[in-house]
Amino acid sequence: MSNNPTASPAEPVHAHEEVPRGTIKAYLEVAGVLTVLTILEIWAFYVPSLQPVLIPILLVLSGAKFALVVMFYMHLKYDHLAYTGIFGPLLALAGFIVIALMILIAYFMGSPPTA
Amino acid sequence: MAVAVPKEVVKARENYLTEGGLLSWLVTVDHKRIGVMYGLTSLAFMGLAGFEALAMRIQLAQPNNHFLSADLYNQFFTMHGTTMIFLVIMPLGLGFFGNIAMPLQIGARDVAFPRLNALSYWIFLFGALFMYSSFLFGGLPDAGWFGYANLTERFFTPGSREDFWAIGLLILGISSILGALNFFVTIVNMRAPGMTFMRMPIFVWNILVASVLVLVAFPPLTVGLVFLVMDRFLGTHFYSTVAGATPILWQHLFWLFGHPEVYILALPAFGIISEVIPCFSRKPLFGYAAMAYATALIGFISYGVWGHHMFATGMGPIADAAFALSTMAIAIPTGIKVYSWVATLWRGNFVWTTSFLYALAFVVQFTLGGLTGVMHAQPPIDLQQTGSYFIVAHFHYVLGGGSLFAFLAGLYYWWPKMTGRMMNEKLGRINFWLTCIGFNMTFFPMHFLGLGGMPRRIYTYGAGLHWDFWNMFCTIGAFVMATGILFLLIAMVESLTRGPEAPADPWDGRTLEWSIPSPPPVYNFAEIPHVHSKDAFWEMKYGNNPGHKVPEVAAEHEAGHVPHIHVPAPSMFPILLAAGLALCGIGAVAWLRITLVGLLIVYLAIVGIGFEYPTYGEHPSKERGDDIYPLDSRKVGMWTFIGSESLFFASLIGTYMAYKGRDLIGPTAKEILEIPLTSFSTFVLLMSSLLMVLALAGFERGDIKAGRNWLFATAGLGCIFLGGQAYEFNKFYHEGVTLQHNLFGQTFYTLVGFHGLHVLLGVIWLLTLAFASFKDMVPKKRALAVEFGGLYWHFVDIVWIVIFSLVYLMDKVTGA
Ligand code: HEM
Ligand SMILES: [Cu+2]
Repeated sequence: MSNNPTASPAEPVHAHEEVPRGTIKAYLEVAGVLTVLTILEIWAFYVPSLQPVLIPILLVLSGAKFALVVMFYMHLKYDHLAYTGIFGPLLALAGFIVIALMILIAYFMGSPPTA
Repeated sequence: MAVAVPKEVVKARENYLTEGGLLSWLVTVDHKRIGVMYGLTSLAFMGLAGFEALAMRIQLAQPNNHFLSADLYNQFFTMHGTTMIFLVIMPLGLGFFGNIAMPLQIGARDVAFPRLNALSYWIFLFGALFMYSSFLFGGLPDAGWFGYANLTERFFTPGSREDFWAIGLLILGISSILGALNFFVTIVNMRAPGMTFMRMPIFVWNILVASVLVLVAFPPLTVGLVFLVMDRFLGTHFYSTVAGATPILWQHLFWLFGHPEVYILALPAFGIISEVIPCFSRKPLFGYAAMAYATALIGFISYGVWGHHMFATGMGPIADAAFALSTMAIAIPTGIKVYSWVATLWRGNFVWTTSFLYALAFVVQFTLGGLTGVMHAQPPIDLQQTGSYFIVAHFHYVLGGGSLFAFLAGLYYWWPKMTGRMMNEKLGRINFWLTCIGFNMTFFPMHFLGLGGMPRRIYTYGAGLHWDFWNMFCTIGAFVMATGILFLLIAMVESLTRGPEAPADPWDGRTLEWSIPSPPPVYNFAEIPHVHSKDAFWEMKYGNNPGHKVPEVAAEHEAGHVPHIHVPAPSMFPILLAAGLALCGIGAVAWLRITLVGLLIVYLAIVGIGFEYPTYGEHPSKERGDDIYPLDSRKVGMWTFIGSESLFFASLIGTYMAYKGRDLIGPTAKEILEIPLTSFSTFVLLMSSLLMVLALAGFERGDIKAGRNWLFATAGLGCIFLGGQAYEFNKFYHEGVTLQHNLFGQTFYTLVGFHGLHVLLGVIWLLTLAFASFKDMVPKKRALAVEFGGLYWHFVDIVWIVIFSLVYLMDKVTGA
């Protein structure tokens, strides 16, 4: 058995590598942005003229908040790409379930017979 | 036999089977032992399910028979299916074969989380016993393994039978998810150095994809079962039309699980066949890369075909067409696999072992089942076949003639490795031929019966429908098959008592498990192997020169020094935790106070596991001498868990959205939700995430005091959030929107309530860490423990971000 590990492509990276994390300052900035985005969401909700486009606005704003927390507070931005590789596809499937149920039940089945 | 068997038998000094007394099995965390326990348990349940099947066959042998009452027949067919799927084929494929073969094939000393592995087994055992214990309390479950709503509602199925079924499946689901998470992390992170994904044995590929499928398929089932339990216990109407809901929701959630599930049952079988056929054809597997991609593709597509079980519900032409197309598409990667096996067989130099015979029969029978599958992938044809014995024939060919036959091939194949004994080939032949002939006698005529109009799930039928002959024939076949299985038991006992000792490498194998003694030592590999190609052990034995075998590679370890390897210590917490969980179930059907005791035990056992090892938070792998893996397994596990949890919430959110606007009476979201209050709690939860990262930063700096204070502050904000929620729920209740009032009430409380429950668990988690830090149990080097608590906390936060905008802000405008 050869013990020369350098020959193999799957040779692990150093297991104890200290990943540089965000600074306290970055965390505070993210919190600031999160607050602003939330205020924007609520503001958009109360502005009558925005009602027709409220759904896309909310999707974008909440998506941005979601991404910020995941990237900075959950460190996906700093950590090994493998974690993103695991979470990303599962999240996509989660979205798929929501949309599929909406289409198959809410859209295709119509409303129930009213009593 | 034509196999070159090394003369001397290499025996492990520390045989995993004989180390320690009988009691040591209760606290074992060794994957090989856990595998053996899975195997024995599944075998016992196979006996039970087989008994139920024979009883049903006797009943159906003749028209107008009275061997079983209609009621008993319903119980038997329900539990036969439930048992075979959840307690036999799935635990055999993943729990048994996954445990005894996968870690050895990737050159690992154990799975990533040995105690979690034990936990999965014990939860599985207790969950199974729990479900079957219903026969002491008024009978076994009797609404089918698919549990179609609204038959399962309390109104149509009173008594506690279906309670045992639903809660039992919830418990079993926890076991499956934990087990799959463990295997996933193990395969992703713990392959021997040099074993790239494209050098992994195909069996490992299949276990990997099957594990992913468990992680994505069980959350929808869990949600479906939660709704069912709520309907039965709390009087909600998730599946009944009285409040505007539809029983079809159950079918979507169930088959969203159910079809991936059939591949969870099939993939390990594909993997076994892909090991057995090359080995006994003395050729490498044909088209390795195609095989690997086909495996992944099957996994992917199988998540988008569930509707083919629902053609008869009238989903409409668009949905029908989409599901028909995706279902036919899945036949393509499946076909690739069949071609690969056939091409591997082509001009092979066969070794006619029993294992090989089973593999050959698998290829034929599975293909037959696959072909009928493509037939009823077409909606108009399915309308003829669905609900008939044709379907029964189809799934028994893929599951019985497919998965089960593959498992028997695998059992004969790995038995020498597992037990250190050879099986008697003569008994093996008898076992094979009786089982194979009996199987085909039983199930082939069911195609005729189905096309002749015989419906499935009936307990008897009238004379003169031309069904008599084939039914009697099937019954005789079933007894032939049962006799065959009896010979399997005889062969196993014979081998254990009188079988010759097995060499390390009896089949001249290709993969790493054959490089270590039979049975393997406790630590598996004295030295973690380095891998340079696929078929790693073959390469070690022969290099590039098939004629010249490097002498006795297997004996290498025997000559070397006694390795100093720390294997994971045994633990009593897994079995305790599982018992606590079982108590929760018992409490739910008996006396709610028992559930509280169960929860307390679960909590204490989790804390026990968390702080059991003094090295927790450092790299425990260092102690095991295999500090060589690229990632931290626990963090991979945490992210996988979070991903799986996302699917759980997606099923809840999907239901909320799907039922939106179907209410028959108000008030609904539009009239009742209060934005100012919720905006405030949203802000509170967001800020708690900030405090959480500050806490983690504190622990990482070694400033324990600051870290602890931030933890308390985070938990405090969590409590404020929960307080807001309690206020809101209370207010709605007083305005008449109870859990049972309308669809909005039940979906809203369930979704938001489950989120609140997660916040509560998070608060408990963080407080546990904070208090533990007083006792110096969370030093700087264990900051990772805080990081995991934090990841969970942030996850709860991002779920809320979605709920806030989808449920609160959007609901006020739409749906009017
Ligand atoms: C080429 C691959 C396959 C295709 C196209 C296919 C197609 C189908 C279809 C369309 C149905 C629904 C029939 C009906 O109820 O009307 C069905 C049922 C079923 N299939 Fe398959 N199938 C395939 C492979 C498998 C495999 C590999 C398994 C398991 C190992 C499996 C297990 C089942 C089971 C258990 C049912 C019946 C479920 C029930 O109603 O209780 N199938 N299949
Ligand atoms: Cu299916």
